[in-house]
Amino acid sequence: MKTNLSNLWKKEDWLAVWIGFAVIAIACIAVLTGAFDFAAAKFSTWHLWENVAEKKSLLAQLNGAFWVKLLRTFLVLGVLFTLGVKLQGGKIKEYIPAFLVLFVLSVLVRLISAEFTLNRYLEWAFWALIVGLLISNTVGVPQWLKPAIRTEFYIKTGLVIMGFSVLFSNIAKFGLYGLGIAWIVTPIVILFMWWFGTKVLKIGNKPLVITLAAATSVCGTSAAIATGAAAGAKKNDLGIAISISIIFTILMMVFEPMIIKAVGMNQLMGGALIGGTVDSTGAVVLAGNALGAEAEQAAVLVKSIQNILIGFIAFFVALFFATRVDKTEGKKVGAGEIWNRFPKFIIGFFVASLVASFLIQPLAGSDSVKAINGVLDQYKNWCFVLAFTSIGLDTNFREIAKQMQGGKVLWLYIVGQVFNIALTFFAVWLLLSGVLFDVPVLDLYK
Amino acid sequence: MNPKRRKRIFRAVTILTVVAVLGCAGWIMACRLGLSPDYDFGAGAYYYADIPGFESVVRDDAYRTEVPLWVHIVLFLGWGWLMYRLWVWIDSRKP
Repeated sequence: MKTNLSNLWKKEDWLAVWIGFAVIAIACIAVLTGAFDFAAAKFSTWHLWENVAEKKSLLAQLNGAFWVKLLRTFLVLGVLFTLGVKLQGGKIKEYIPAFLVLFVLSVLVRLISAEFTLNRYLEWAFWALIVGLLISNTVGVPQWLKPAIRTEFYIKTGLVIMGFSVLFSNIAKFGLYGLGIAWIVTPIVILFMWWFGTKVLKIGNKPLVITLAAATSVCGTSAAIATGAAAGAKKNDLGIAISISIIFTILMMVFEPMIIKAVGMNQLMGGALIGGTVDSTGAVVLAGNALGAEAEQAAVLVKSIQNILIGFIAFFVALFFATRVDKTEGKKVGAGEIWNRFPKFIIGFFVASLVASFLIQPLAGSDSVKAINGVLDQYKNWCFVLAFTSIGLDTNFREIAKQMQGGKVLWLYIVGQVFNIALTFFAVWLLLSGVLFDVPVLDLYK
Repeated sequence: MNPKRRKRIFRAVTILTVVAVLGCAGWIMACRLGLSPDYDFGAGAYYYADIPGFESVVRDDAYRTEVPLWVHIVLFLGWGWLMYRLWVWIDSRKP
């Protein structure tokens, strides 16, 4: 097996791992020692047109502390990514001004997506795509901005940072009930969508099929990002999968609790069904809340388990694509070749997750891990906003229409989601209705 | 039904579905449906870490199980591996 050691500091995958680890290490030191502030900038919710009692203005939050955090965010990400680009052989003289403009666009995206109504339903991924698309399809992307459009680099780094928030202890949060609902159903839905997409609808773009399947069955945007990167999905694939998931999540958040109430399903079952089928965690909490306290808790418990699945699904997808999809017909792929093709950032994701679960959490406690993740979450979001703005800048509407394959992609999502709801309902009924097992009791005292 | 006609119907149904879904999403947003005054977030908070004060939303000890953590991990990995083998098998079948 031929291994080139210089890949460790020259290849994008490894550099994403080191940058992710650097951000995690600095955040851990900052939070655990309390020696310095490492928090990244974040816009608080502000109101533009809403008729509310207490209207929060955008200007009120633009104080000195905000600008310091914004400058820190720019410097941390700017220095680390510039170093990464330099090590990959890029020209930093071209990269730095381009990154500066991309960062300004990302600030604009985060500003728009913090507006009350927009923030409640769509948030940054959607607005990053829209802002990028508007620029690329109107005035166009100037040549000098292109060196900063490094979608995969930002996504992989964001995923390594995100790995720290995936805590293995969550796997037992709802006992075998949660594992049964979240983990038995999820891979079956993925396999069903794979079969339906590739064999029935005959969609040739396999990375798009698996990205959409993961978004539908696991947890929407985050799962799509991880799986898309693992499968080597094109930028448009990721944009399409996430846009479909985001729009349908809005509908499911409102209509699923209504239907559950209408059919008279109890709170525990209704909440678990919501946790297993609604894509975004925020929507899961609100849809569960609409049914009641027990439903909300059941929904969040099931969703917490699904959040752990992201890394494992991405790992198996990477393995599958390295051994089956990207191989030459009739040739067996050896271990060395699998290693060469395997996306290394997934190793970084798992290492970050293992360190948080089995080192930092037992040593420093859950509260410290939560505080560290509070800091890291914003860096992760900035990386993803840079990535999604890059996707928008690199895409034109004609390409998107082509990728939709005459509507097949939309129907793959709809049929897959219906199957997901039916199968999750079956699992919920089997495990929580009392027909086979004792009905679990949730402690709702807060 | 001839393939051309079938294709036209499929396209029309798809366009109608897209319009209905987008219209419905726009209506939900305009009426601000599905939100809770208790929470300062919405569907836009995709990942749990994006939710402000998530620890107050989920209780770590809401459910206690007698089953040890390692049993969960073994079942988790075992089912994952089984599903992977099934995926390889499905992919090797002809459509």
